[in-house]
Amino acid sequence: MTEVNLFIFNFDYSQSIEMGFKKLSAVNGYQHLLIKTGAFIILAFIADFFVGGIFHYFYFKQSSGWEYRTKYSIEDTRADVLIFGASRAQQQYNPDYIEKKTGLTCYNTGRDGEPVFYYYGVLQGVLKRYTPKIIILDVENNVFRESQDSYDRLSILLPYYTTHPEMRPVIELRSPFEKLKLQSRVYPFNSMLFKIAIGNTDFNKKRFEDIKGYVPLTGALDEPIRTVDLSKNKYAVDTNKINCYKSFINDCLKANIKLYLVCSPYFFRAVGEDTSMQIAKEIAKERKVDFIDFSKDKLFLSNSKFFDDTIHVNVSGSEIFSNKVADTLLSKINSNAR
Amino acid sequence: MIFTSLNFALFFLIVAVINYLLPVKYRYIWLLGASIYFYMFTSPIYILVAASIVLLTYYGGIEIEKQGDKKESFRLYVFTIIANVAFLIFFKYTNFFTSIVFDTINFSRQKLLHAGPPIANSLLVNIAAPLGISYLTFQAIGYLIEIKRGNHPAEKKLGHLATFLLFFPKIIAGPVERAHHFLPQISETKKFEYSNVSTGLKLLVWGLFKKLVVADRLSIYVNAVLGNADHHNGLTLITGTIFYVFQMYADFSGYTDMALGLAKILGFDLVQNFNRPLFAKSVTEFWRKWHISLSTWFADYFYNPIAVAKRDWGSWGIVYAFFLTFVVLGFWHGANWTFIVFGALQGLALTIEFFTRKQRKYIRKKIPSLANSIAGILFTVGYFGFSLIFFRSTSLKEAFIIIKRIFTARGGAIYIENPSIILFSIASIVFFMLVEFKKEYLDHLFTFSDNKNWLIRNCYYCMLLLIILIAGVFDGGEFIYFQF
Repeated sequence: MTEVNLFIFNFDYSQSIEMGFKKLSAVNGYQHLLIKTGAFIILAFIADFFVGGIFHYFYFKQSSGWEYRTKYSIEDTRADVLIFGASRAQQQYNPDYIEKKTGLTCYNTGRDGEPVFYYYGVLQGVLKRYTPKIIILDVENNVFRESQDSYDRLSILLPYYTTHPEMRPVIELRSPFEKLKLQSRVYPFNSMLFKIAIGNTDFNKKRFEDIKGYVPLTGALDEPIRTVDLSKNKYAVDTNKINCYKSFINDCLKANIKLYLVCSPYFFRAVGEDTSMQIAKEIAKERKVDFIDFSKDKLFLSNSKFFDDTIHVNVSGSEIFSNKVADTLLSKINSNAR
Repeated sequence: MIFTSLNFALFFLIVAVINYLLPVKYRYIWLLGASIYFYMFTSPIYILVAASIVLLTYYGGIEIEKQGDKKESFRLYVFTIIANVAFLIFFKYTNFFTSIVFDTINFSRQKLLHAGPPIANSLLVNIAAPLGISYLTFQAIGYLIEIKRGNHPAEKKLGHLATFLLFFPKIIAGPVERAHHFLPQISETKKFEYSNVSTGLKLLVWGLFKKLVVADRLSIYVNAVLGNADHHNGLTLITGTIFYVFQMYADFSGYTDMALGLAKILGFDLVQNFNRPLFAKSVTEFWRKWHISLSTWFADYFYNPIAVAKRDWGSWGIVYAFFLTFVVLGFWHGANWTFIVFGALQGLALTIEFFTRKQRKYIRKKIPSLANSIAGILFTVGYFGFSLIFFRSTSLKEAFIIIKRIFTARGGAIYIENPSIILFSIASIVFFMLVEFKKEYLDHLFTFSDNKNWLIRNCYYCMLLLIILIAGVFDGGEFIYFQF
């Protein structure tokens, strides 16, 4: 067995390793398997460590793209006003207008398609570094709808698992085995190879405009006016999402951040109320947090020239909406000051 | 519990370790218990169906062999075969045939449901087919036929037969095992062998690569395109169809590699199911390399008896036999006209190839062999891809929409929602095909996977694991063939 142990660590001399393994034929099959498996695991561990290190380096070195925006939100921004949410945050709140009116710096951390888990995770990263003055959380219909996809999408936060312990509880919601999978240094960067490569170039800067996190939509809606009965839209709600939403509010209140929950405009006329929206409003009421509802704003309702699609305003709509949000913030700030 | 899940990894680890700790004569009982648990994990109630098939096949086999009276033996044989087929038809095809009957008398399924719950419920079976029912019944039928033909003795131990039919690595999507190949392995005294575990693990890693890196990655684009054909142009649909060929092959052969690997670790050899079919130079050759265990099953138990019965018809008897075989083979995949058309298209290609074999041989002599090979491969893969449009579609209407749009929806750029997905997809196909190409044409020159040098061999497998971690889709779905 002494011989066996010697050649395991003798990685530079592959022929010696081979000869060493040949001597193992004298050892029984189980020991043979254990020793070779052990040697393979060490080799795999070394490869994982080095390749994972390369990914880590280039991930955090990105200068454009979606991953860069997430990284900037978690690790770099020190804006006074932060906007959280999914696509309806990212594509509707233009920080420039908010900055101009309020005199406060602003950054939009919203990310297309991301559920409440994502923005709660980002908030954890932000609060670990500094305390913003104001947070706007965009709340939308279906926000608490049960969906496996919402958990799968937590993969975006995997690179922060080792560097941001405060985000671990939310990342671990992804699957029961996530903790085990994250023992690998490469796994957190799964499916990110090309994104990271592109993020280290200027290609993304040419692909889409990024105004302090705001990504304008330039299309114009071509759809007839319609009425939707939201109360008919029945679905199962996810208690994890509701708990994350509650924790988001609680953490902001605990840090003395002025939190505004905002429902941005919709194109369609709504009859009744969406289940998630009802829950969100009730929770806001319980915790005495301002809930500002633009979903029935007459300026936007059925006004196709302000919309890119039925749930996202375009660049013109965003200008008006962002100014409205800024005016509301300003009046709230002024009334608080008085 | 799919092979790519960590739940399964834990289950298999426990099964394998305990298997080798147990005395040899009790191992099959342990494996049978594990197989039953595996089967019940998804839908416990269906174990009753599986148990019924096992018992029917067991007693049927013994009685067929025991009967001195040839007529009685034949009656029993026909009864057990029909009973097995009945299980398959009841669970898989009842609604299909009911719909045909009522469509014929001008009752659509929709009208039937509107006729009121009592009538609808009494005529349409709203239950899912038990897992692997097609594979289970086909193995049982093959076993009974071999006994009747006198090629294999009836298995006297119920536990052995049950282990053969329910063995968990192959129960869901094959390969379709033969009794004479598998049953003797149960009785063999199997010592733990390092080489079995090593070979099995290598197959597992390669199967995982095919499933997670190639098939599940391609499925993202394929589902987005072929699932929404109305919104895409011809170029995009052609790209989606080409991707689907690779997805299908990687998914199914990946599953098979894993099944073979798992069985090998437990000390069992399963039959090969694929032999690099995407390098076939004709559709006839393709079916000798694709889903081999099923096509040879059909050849032995369906095609040959028909061809022999119709030998008086000459060439037309052969054509009749393989056309019918492929229509049934297509229908075996599922209760839908799309599968019948898929099978018929294979039959059609084989018919054309059969009647043009002399002309093709003449042409082959006239053109360089490389050009002939490339043209043959491109035609075969293209034709298979075309037939897969029917295979994947949920209705003939959907398939015809895709085909129509391929030829008519011109203009516009190719659909690329996320460049990263396209780049990963192309890279995965290139890597996968390079490995297949090397195995097909250059295996004698060098090998990484079986290199004699420990370091080179293991660096290759480390690289595969890293690629799986970097490019694998860990939120992907089930294997395509699980539904059959």
